Amino acid sequence: MEGLFTDYDTGGFFDEAHDDDGSARSHYQALIAQVGGFPPAELDRREKLRDEAFRTAGITFTVYGETEGVERTFPMDLVPRLIPADEWKTVEAGLAQRVTVLNRFLDDLYNGERAAVRDGIVPWWLIASSDGFCREAAGIPVPHGARCLVAGVDIVRDGNGDYCVLEDNLRNPSGISYVLENRQAMTRVLPKVFANHRVRPVDHYGLSLLHALQSVAPPSASDDPTVVVLTPGVFNSAYFEHAFLARQMGVELVEGRDLVVDDHTVAMRTTQGMKRVDVIYRRIDDDFLDPVVFRPDSTLGVPGLMAAARAQTVTIANAVGNGVADDKAVYAYVPDLIRYYTGEEPILPNIETYLLWEPEQRAHVLDRLDQLVIKPVAEAGGYGVVIGPKATDAELAECRAQIEADPRNYIAQEVVQLSRHPTLVDDHMEGRHIDLRPFVLCGDKVEVIPGGLTRVALTKGSLIVNSSQGGGSKDTWVLAPEDA
Amino acid sequence: MLARHAESLFWAGRHIERAESTARLLDVTYHTHLEAMAGSETASWHDLLKILHVDLAFSESERILKADVVSEFLVFDPSNPGTIRSNVTQARENLRAVRELISTEMWEAVNAFHLRLSARDLSDDVRGEPHELYAMVRTQCQALAGVASETMPRDECWNFLSLGWMLERSVMTLRLLLVRYSQLVSAGATGGFHHWVSTLKSASGSEAFRRRYRASMDPADVVAFLLMARDFPRSVLFGLQAAEKALSWIDGTSSPNTRPQRLLGRLRADVEFLDVRELLSGDLSVYLDMVEHDIRQVAESIETTYFRSTDETALHVLDPTMVWR
Repeated sequence: MEGLFTDYDTGGFFDEAHDDDGSARSHYQALIAQVGGFPPAELDRREKLRDEAFRTAGITFTVYGETEGVERTFPMDLVPRLIPADEWKTVEAGLAQRVTVLNRFLDDLYNGERAAVRDGIVPWWLIASSDGFCREAAGIPVPHGARCLVAGVDIVRDGNGDYCVLEDNLRNPSGISYVLENRQAMTRVLPKVFANHRVRPVDHYGLSLLHALQSVAPPSASDDPTVVVLTPGVFNSAYFEHAFLARQMGVELVEGRDLVVDDHTVAMRTTQGMKRVDVIYRRIDDDFLDPVVFRPDSTLGVPGLMAAARAQTVTIANAVGNGVADDKAVYAYVPDLIRYYTGEEPILPNIETYLLWEPEQRAHVLDRLDQLVIKPVAEAGGYGVVIGPKATDAELAECRAQIEADPRNYIAQEVVQLSRHPTLVDDHMEGRHIDLRPFVLCGDKVEVIPGGLTRVALTKGSLIVNSSQGGGSKDTWVLAPEDA
Repeated sequence: MLARHAESLFWAGRHIERAESTARLLDVTYHTHLEAMAGSETASWHDLLKILHVDLAFSESERILKADVVSEFLVFDPSNPGTIRSNVTQARENLRAVRELISTEMWEAVNAFHLRLSARDLSDDVRGEPHELYAMVRTQCQALAGVASETMPRDECWNFLSLGWMLERSVMTLRLLLVRYSQLVSAGATGGFHHWVSTLKSASGSEAFRRRYRASMDPADVVAFLLMARDFPRSVLFGLQAAEKALSWIDGTSSPNTRPQRLLGRLRADVEFLDVRELLSGDLSVYLDMVEHDIRQVAESIETTYFRSTDETALHVLDPTMVWR
C-alpha cells in the first residue's frame, strides 16, 4: 500500500476497511486508492476546507464539568465510514424490529395491560425500581403508540465484525445534526470521492421528522398541526442541534417560557397573540418538563403541560417515561421482549450482560471485575462507565463497593473489542475504535435514516467514543444496492 | 413570531443605539472642555448624566462630579446598568437569543464588537485619551446598523429591531434637547454659539445643520432641526417616522388599529406639524417633557401589545373567590 496507508496496522482488531491479511475490503478499495494518494499539501488544503465549513456553520457543543461550559467543535475525521448495501439491509431490519418492539413495550407499560409483565417476561419490581419509570405518564395515550418517535440505537461491531446493540437511547437521543452537517461538509471536502460512491442521502431528515411529528398530532388538531421544538435554551450543550432541527423543519424553536397552558391546551406567545400548539418535540428531560408534576424548581418547563397531554390536546414527543426502556438493566430483557411481542428472533443481538442483583451473576462479575465493563443503569453519555481492564485497583475497589451497596444500579458487560477504522492521525492513517448511532423515526410508520453518526475514539487505544469524552465523528456512507 | 424573540430584537436595537449615543455624548463633552470653553465643567458633566437619565443614580452613589469619575461611571462601572459596556453586552445577549433569526454577519459583527470591547483596558482608556475608545464604539455601532441593513430581510425581525433602535434614538435626541435647553433657561441666557454647536455635535448633526443654515446659529433653527428635520437621521421626527413604519409593517396593515400605532401616529403628527417659533415663545421644556412622556408610553404599549399579550395577563390574575370555593 502507498501514501497515507503505508504501514497501516490493523493491530489484530476487526478493521472496517481491511481484511485480516491487511488487504483492502472490496467496498473500500476505491476510497483507499483515492484518499491514500493525497499528497500532504492536498490533505492540508482539504482539512482547511473542512474546518472552514464547520466554523461557518457554528457547529459546537458544550462540555460540562469544566469551569465554564466550553464550546468545542466536534471534530470530523476526513475518512468516511462505508457500509455496504447488504450489511445495511440487515442492520436496518434489526433496528426497525427493535424499535418497534420497544415502542410496543412502552405503550404496553403506560397505556396497556402490562402484558409483558403479567406474562413474566420482565419482573415488575425491575420496572418499578427504574429511575426512568414515570407513573405520571400512565394512561396518557400517544397516537400510533409512537412513544419513542426518535430513537438512537448505539451499535458496535465486535471482534468478528458482527453488529450488536450496545445501548438504546429512547429519551432525547442527540447527534443527528452532526450526521447532516458532516455530510454537507464531506460533499465539499471530498466531492470527487463522494461522487465515485453511490451514497444514500440523509438530507431528507428534517422533512421525515416533521412528517412523523405531525402524524402523532392529537385528534383535535387541524389538518396542518403546529409543531414546535422545545429547548432548555442557549446554554444547553445540544442547543445547536435544537436550533438546527427547528430550522430544518421550518418550525418555531421555543423555550418553556414561550408556552402557556390554559384550559388544558398549550399555546405559544407570539407577537400576534396566543397560537395553539399541537405537537411538542421536546429536548428537555422528563424531570424538567412540568414543574406541577415533576421538579417544582424547574424553570425550563411549562406548568400544566402533563395535564394537557393527558387531556389529549397536545402530544409530547418523545413521550414521557421512555427512560424505563433504555434502562441498561431492562436492556438485558430486550431480546426476550422481541421474541415475546413478535415471535421472531432478534436480528441484532445484545452484548452479553450480567444482572448484578442475581447473586450468582454478581459473584461471577465481582470475581472478574477487571475483565468487564461496569455501567450505571440510568446514565447516558458515557458518564460513570468503568472499563475493568483499564481501571486502577482503587477504581475497581470503589466500583465493587458501589455494586455491593446498590446492585440494581449497575450492570456488567463483556468488553467488546470494538471494530477499528482508518483515521487520519497527523500525516498518516491509524486504526481507531468506532461505533455507530443510527436514528430511527417512528410516527405512523418506521423509518431508519441510512447510516447515522459514526463516533470515533480519537485517543489511541481508547474505547470511549462519546463527544463529551474526547470523541470525534465520521461521515457514514451507506452504499446503495447495485441494482437500485 | 415568538413574543420573546421580538422582545429580544427590540431591546438589542435599543441597547446598540444607547451605546452609540453614550459614546458620542461622552466624546463631545470631553472635547468641549479640552477647548477650554466658557462655562462650568461640572455643570456639563452633570448635564450629560441627566441626558442619560442617570444623574440621580450618580449622586446617590456619592461619587465626585468630575470628568474621569463620570466617564468611568458611564463606560464600565458595574454599579451602573446603563454603561457602554453593559449596553454592548446586553445587545449581544439579546441577539444571541435570536441567533437563528438574524444573519450570520450580524451575529459575527456584534460578537466581534463585544470581544473587542472586552479585550480593552477601559479604565486605562478613560484616564488616558478616551477619544479612540469613543470613536471605536461609534464606528462599531454604525457598522452594526450597516450590517443589519445590508444583510437582513425586511421581515418581522428587522422591524422589531429597527423599532427599538429608532424609538431609543428619538428619546436620546429629545433628552439632549431637553437638558441643553433647560440649562439655558435656568441660566437666563439664549446660549452661545459653542453651546449649540456642541449640542448639534452630540447628535452628529453639526455638519448637516451647517449646510442647511449656513452661518446662522439661531436657537429656533437648532431646535427645529433636531426636533423635526424630516431628512436628518437623528432628529426626533425621523426616529418616530421610522418607528411608525416598522410598526405598521408588524401589524400588516396601514390602518392604525393597535394602541402603539395610535399613540405613535398621534405623537408623530404632533411633532411633524409643530410651529417652532410659537413653541419657543412659550416653555419649550414643557412640550419636550410631554413628548418624552408620550414616547415612553408608546414603548410601554409595545411591551403589553406584542411581548405580553393581554389574554395571558388575565390568565395569571387569580380570582380570589376561587380559592375559598
